[in-house]
Amino acid sequence: MGKRQKRFEVLAERAVNQDGFIKEWIDVGLVAMDSPNDPTPSIKIENGTVLEMDGKRREEFDMIDTWIADHCIETDVAEEAMAIDSLQIARMLVDISVPRTEIVRLSVGMTPAKYVDVLKHMNVVELMMAMQKLRPRRTPSNQAHVTNLKDTPALLAADAAEAGYRGFSEIETTVGVGRYAPMNALSLLVGGQTGRPGLLAQCAVEEALELTMGMRGLTHYAETVSVYGTEQVFVDGDDTPWSKAFLASAYASRGLKMRFTSGTGSEVQMGYAEGKSMLYLEIRCVMITKGAGVQGLQNGSISVIGVPGAVPSGIRAVLAENVATVLNDLEVASGNDQTFTHSPIRNTARMLMQFLPGTDFIFSGYSSVPNYDNMFAGSTHDCDDYDDMLVLQRDLQIDMSLLPVKEEDVIAIRNKGARALQAVFNELGLPLITDEEVEAATYAHGSKDMPDRNVPEDLRAIDELMKRGTTGVDVVRALAKRGFNDVAQSVLNMLKGKVTGDYLHTSAIFDENFNVVAAVNDLNDYNGPGTGYRLEGERWELLKNIPAAISPEDI
Amino acid sequence: MAQSKEINISPDLIAEAVKRAMATLGKSPGQETLTGSPSGKLEAEKDYPLGTKRPDLVKSASGLALEDITLDKVVSGQIGFDDVKIRPETLEYQAQIAENIGRPNLAANLRRAAEMTNIPDDRVLEIYNSLRPYRCTKPELLDIANELETKYNAKICAALVREAADVYEKRGRLKQ
Repeated sequence: MGKRQKRFEVLAERAVNQDGFIKEWIDVGLVAMDSPNDPTPSIKIENGTVLEMDGKRREEFDMIDTWIADHCIETDVAEEAMAIDSLQIARMLVDISVPRTEIVRLSVGMTPAKYVDVLKHMNVVELMMAMQKLRPRRTPSNQAHVTNLKDTPALLAADAAEAGYRGFSEIETTVGVGRYAPMNALSLLVGGQTGRPGLLAQCAVEEALELTMGMRGLTHYAETVSVYGTEQVFVDGDDTPWSKAFLASAYASRGLKMRFTSGTGSEVQMGYAEGKSMLYLEIRCVMITKGAGVQGLQNGSISVIGVPGAVPSGIRAVLAENVATVLNDLEVASGNDQTFTHSPIRNTARMLMQFLPGTDFIFSGYSSVPNYDNMFAGSTHDCDDYDDMLVLQRDLQIDMSLLPVKEEDVIAIRNKGARALQAVFNELGLPLITDEEVEAATYAHGSKDMPDRNVPEDLRAIDELMKRGTTGVDVVRALAKRGFNDVAQSVLNMLKGKVTGDYLHTSAIFDENFNVVAAVNDLNDYNGPGTGYRLEGERWELLKNIPAAISPEDI
Repeated sequence: MAQSKEINISPDLIAEAVKRAMATLGKSPGQETLTGSPSGKLEAEKDYPLGTKRPDLVKSASGLALEDITLDKVVSGQIGFDDVKIRPETLEYQAQIAENIGRPNLAANLRRAAEMTNIPDDRVLEIYNSLRPYRCTKPELLDIANELETKYNAKICAALVREAADVYEKRGRLKQ
């Protein structure tokens, strides 16, 4: 081309044109939710055993077919559910006169191909309607990422405290350096209970270490327990549905909540999609989770969002996989966590799909730290977007679980979180957190504002801490001895939460008074206008009063 | 004084105590008849959350009631980590609540978990690793299933491992 048209020159510079897009490529599974290779729904049951599923005879079942057929499909209702026309089921999902209970009764009898057949009839607005009606917990909520490049503990504690104070129900950390995991977990435990009693915390690392930290009472739940939609990818991930189901029960046996993780595109990325649509393979993951008796699932493509993000209708498929999760009566932590686009417009449009209807956890999670400190490869939105999010809540009267805050209060809570952790480090004989670190963490934007720590010394101390068998009880004792009685009591209350097992149920979180809020005592009852969760009353008063709003009487 | 600190309790002793307790309750933990419930099982609306609605049913692994787990006792060293662990009966109650609200899969998971409370942390991790692909031969997996059944009275877990052994054999995922 010779002379460029000036508008096209400007467009070429736009952020969205740095994103990657690809046309559908069926053979490798680069297709969002409708591949010609997806099986046709079918079921054949004899004496309570599934003999045929989606056109495959039992003898031909792979590991995942076997798991789903034997552990997930409810054979009592399968024939009834499979006989209903898929379009009819799609209409039931958005029909306010069909209650959630009736849909959930039938959905457990559907095969993976049937789910795809239902969901592909629905556009994004209908999928959002289905999400609003079907998510298990009535009250939507949100999760935050709390990480930093240096794994510096005082900052983790301050950020955890702020995240809790701002209204998140769960916080998740991971590591820059693997051996830092227990110290990061400890930092979130102490900082989190300082910021908001009842805040659930996790540390996402390798499965065995993650479980060990949970067994010691250093974390409250786990999420990064991955499942995949094809047998080869599952095995390449060094697990099977049986090993993962055993692991799930191991968590529950120690009173720990957990959910699995999966996402559209992972099978394409790992090279074994079998030419199936991303949504079909993801629904197999949802059903593996259901069959394992796990209460919930984190999905929404997660760490492979670039893959569905690149194909037509991919972001719709991501919403559809979230809907498939709640359609299985599972808690959904609905993604929005990894950066997938350079375009702020695309970024926010993608997030609206979960924010508008509300999910159990709209983000999994929201980056409570600057993007450069996010060790989960970023998030769609971060701490610099807080005020935008508060305004979106106010504009649309929708709850993202984010509270307006005052700067002085955030400074105070960050400082307290860092000081509480400093006290625990002292008591447990960990390398000291200096007053300089506490001060820096209190006022920091990110880890660039933090002094460096002696990393080898930290790592040695962490190894010793693990060898000594330090538990959550030691943390309670340390906090109380140093005068942080309120934080100590909160850490203890979380341990007591594990004794009762109440938060093992679907979509369970705690409020600030340690009341469990789950899809048992707070079951979604949306049934059209005037029903379900609505942002109103005291809560609306709280959320609409952002600091930037001026009162008429002040003018 | 917390019960667990009065005598020196070993993990084996606890396992024995749990087994005895389970024997008195029937075949599996938590099957005692509950008053006020027509089916004899817990109900979501009436009994959940257990922590506030049925604190009478909740005890820690060492036998402490929730109200006995206090900050003062932690600080004075009367309460240790075993005093804040879940016990199998509680997981059975939670399984009943899951069943009552229409979640049989979750209930099954919680019942496997109830069995696993008897298994030490390290052994749980080892068995999990053994269930990963290509780790064990079929006889090795069947040995684990037998161990689960005989040593820990974990019948549902044993069935899961046996099922895995069959599927892994069929799909070529056993240790070569």
